[in-house]
Amino acid sequence: MRDTFRGGVHPRGHKELSKEASLRVFDAKGEMVFPLAQHIGKPAKAIVKKGDPVLVGQCIAAADGFVSANVISSCSGTVKAVEKRRTIAGVLQECVVIDNDGQYTETGAFGTRQDITDITNEEILRRVAAAGITGLGGAGFPTHVKLAPKEPLKIRYLIANGAECEPYITCNDQLMRGYGKEIVEGMEIMLRLFPNAEGVIAIEGNKPEAIAAMEMAVKGHPKLRVQKLRTKYPQGGERSLISVIAGVDYPTSKLPADVGCIVDNVGTIYAVGRAVLYNEPLFRHVITVTGEGVRTPSNFIARDGTSFCEMIEAAGGLREGADPKKVISGGPMMGLAVSTLDVPITKTTNAVTVLLSDEVEKAELQMTACLHCGRCTTVCPNGLMPQMMADAIVAGDMERYEKKLYGLDCIFCGSCTYICPAKRPLTQNFKQTKAEILAKKRAAQAAQGGGK
Amino acid sequence: MTLNLSASPHVRDRWTTSFIMHTVLLSLVPAAVVGVFVYGLHALFVILASIVAAVGSEALFCLLTRRPLSIFDGSAAVTGMLLALSLSPSTPVIYPILGSMFAILVVKCCFGGLGKNFINPALVGRCFLLISFGTAMTKFPSLDGVTSATPLKVMTDALDAGVRLNLDVTSMFLGTANGVIGSSIVALLIGGLILWGLDIIHGEICFSVLGAFTLVMGLFGGRGFDPAYLAAQLCGGGVVMGAFFMATDYTTSPVSRLGQLVYGCLIGVLGALFRILGKVDYFSYSVIIGNLFTPLIDMYIIPKPYAYRKKAIRAASGVKLPPLKQRIPKPVIALALITLIAGVALSGVYSMTKGTIEAHEAAAKAAAYKAVVPDAEKFENVETADAAIQALNGGVYGTNFGKAYINEAFAAKDAAGNLVGYALSVTSGDGYDGDITLSLGLDPEGKVLGIAFTTLNETPGMGMLAKEPAFTDQFVGKAVTQFVHNKGGASGDNAIDAISGASTTSGAVVNAVNAGLDFFHSVMQGGN
Repeated sequence: MRDTFRGGVHPRGHKELSKEASLRVFDAKGEMVFPLAQHIGKPAKAIVKKGDPVLVGQCIAAADGFVSANVISSCSGTVKAVEKRRTIAGVLQECVVIDNDGQYTETGAFGTRQDITDITNEEILRRVAAAGITGLGGAGFPTHVKLAPKEPLKIRYLIANGAECEPYITCNDQLMRGYGKEIVEGMEIMLRLFPNAEGVIAIEGNKPEAIAAMEMAVKGHPKLRVQKLRTKYPQGGERSLISVIAGVDYPTSKLPADVGCIVDNVGTIYAVGRAVLYNEPLFRHVITVTGEGVRTPSNFIARDGTSFCEMIEAAGGLREGADPKKVISGGPMMGLAVSTLDVPITKTTNAVTVLLSDEVEKAELQMTACLHCGRCTTVCPNGLMPQMMADAIVAGDMERYEKKLYGLDCIFCGSCTYICPAKRPLTQNFKQTKAEILAKKRAAQAAQGGGK
Repeated sequence: MTLNLSASPHVRDRWTTSFIMHTVLLSLVPAAVVGVFVYGLHALFVILASIVAAVGSEALFCLLTRRPLSIFDGSAAVTGMLLALSLSPSTPVIYPILGSMFAILVVKCCFGGLGKNFINPALVGRCFLLISFGTAMTKFPSLDGVTSATPLKVMTDALDAGVRLNLDVTSMFLGTANGVIGSSIVALLIGGLILWGLDIIHGEICFSVLGAFTLVMGLFGGRGFDPAYLAAQLCGGGVVMGAFFMATDYTTSPVSRLGQLVYGCLIGVLGALFRILGKVDYFSYSVIIGNLFTPLIDMYIIPKPYAYRKKAIRAASGVKLPPLKQRIPKPVIALALITLIAGVALSGVYSMTKGTIEAHEAAAKAAAYKAVVPDAEKFENVETADAAIQALNGGVYGTNFGKAYINEAFAAKDAAGNLVGYALSVTSGDGYDGDITLSLGLDPEGKVLGIAFTTLNETPGMGMLAKEPAFTDQFVGKAVTQFVHNKGGASGDNAIDAISGASTTSGAVVNAVNAGLDFFHSVMQGGN
């Protein structure tokens, strides 16, 4: 059995910083900020207004349409404002701001375990949707949409993504070590939706404790198994996992469900289990606060809406005399650098990484012309030709970029940029080019539509 | 606290352009060290001059064009080093300087600098020098200080003459034979294999170059898959340096693996064909031609992303395939098997017919010698002569015969085993148009029985007249120690009339015969 995909890179893991830090519950004290767009799809619509009292677990913004997700309050208090606030993306976005009373009074609608033997698939999906669950791995795709493919009987693999290939991040490692049973419960519930599927828990080999814990948890569950994967970035990418486990590579025009796979982060699966068994909405999740700039790198179960500032304080604050160069929401390979610590963590924030030195800054000083060494082509997990793509961008040949080089299939994993000895900003160029091409296409479509 | 903002990824691999270039530079150091050790301090000056000129020209260009100083990335130094290693150790220091300047200023900088040159600058520098200063460039000092041919040249000449040659492959491998500064195969291999192991150079390129070259030499080189022959061919004429250090230049080689294989095979095949048909070292040119094909290869050979390959499309359309068995595509297995079988068959046929071929070769040679010693039935080795030829090691014989080489010498016996004379094969490198090789027959006392040409490529109607009895008969029946090349009328027993209008040719023939006579008198007879 293959244990990895083709290509990939080996950035330094830095996981030792927080690997052994068990999950701690962290309750924030300050105001909580909930962006309405924490997921892929249409932003949710705020259903509370200034001055409204809210409780923990209360829906404060409702999904607007099918591909959208509810936003749940993680604290009790009063709504301070519904206004634009700066978010991780660096821009101002519509947010619900809640004055946290620090009591954490719950709605009472969740918390008791329910008998689900006779539950229907529709009810499972309804509970998942009501809980506002989105993918916790990064993209934030609404889970109730993902769990409702057109042909559920054709799903062959339900993949629990516990690879955690991003450097620094260890929260899923800790989640699997401590909550293996709950993850398995979540998988069993999801497998009800896909009767022909096999459940595979995929974990990178650098987490032997998590593998052992999950092996233990799947005992007595014949449809579940644990698969150890080689430690390599981007092993936890959806395509990498499907390539290894199902042996299928598919173009970006298709969804995993089209090739018979459903991939969900272990955190998401845990949340599904909680939602269906306890009616518990998603308002807190695991997060790693780490990096050389943090005094005690830690793994938390933290509430959505907590500011980065408070998360870092929870991890002992900045290290004495440390002057952080960069703070990243997520890991260093695909995470977003933030300009201020006054931004809230959202459903998709799995890490706050505080770096004391910025390798990008150093790389900018070392940048040379492209050598055509081809290292980027050997690491691309999709088999693209980054160097040719970069040349095509310079030549302005978008036709070649799109049709010959399949440039739009880039998943922006950053492997090519990581490996490039000439320190070319490849991924950045590809992101921009994709945006430009798509914008042009939309414009062309609009023009065509207007002509009719 | 100000936080840096930038797009992901936020970490980078430690490798930089300058690290790669300096590693390449270091990987060439073993070859340079062996070169200096074997050929002496002048080789070191050539290397230093070349590197300094390369780096200096780039610095100059950067200053004049007000570009950021790019010399610290190490690529100019690599160019200078490569150029120096591909030059003769006796090259006057001015040549590597000129070559490096041309390579860096014209080929690299004028086309946009690092990563933009369309052919390998070091190779172009070498070819620029070869074309401009041909004679100076192809002089190679033998280790005793006398200019002589490279082993490859000796080998090709010997092949032309149909003569079997004891080439010292070991000394070629170690780098102690005549050749360019970087001619130590073992040192080049050490550097090249380290680069390959570090994934700095692509194995697809270097091994396809070597593979295609060996295959074509084996098939069409005229000696079959004779390991000694192939080893000598691989060790000579810059094949190893070309495969590992020239062809693998990033900028001028294709990006895709398939493209690299095509490119490597192209270079290997061209190199072998040039060597077989051209008889000289054109390996540099085959790499340059490969470079020129690179844009074309990159234009058309673009591997599809994994998701768009046939197998992936089939798999994605729902047919469940066993992933493991699909890993090595069938055509590859089939091709490998066919190659293997063909290889085994060819070497089988070769080894079965080897005896016959050798018998034929011996017969052909015997016939050539019989023409000059008519009474002889068989030709036997003479120990002293063999030892003397071995000692020459392919070098020029004597000092009064121009570029004359003694190839072989035999004692001629009749059917009863009585000594009836001697036969020698002599080559003169001073022909008007390439080498002249002839067989010289002597009676036991040293009287000339006859001469016959085995290689003569002179001008028709002029130099080719040397073949006519009117010229050759002048030697026959003379018992002299030396002939005199007489451009006027002949006077005296030892005078040979020059061929009118082709005195270069007739002079070379006289020199060859004289060398043979001298060898006979001083070595064979003197030894007896």
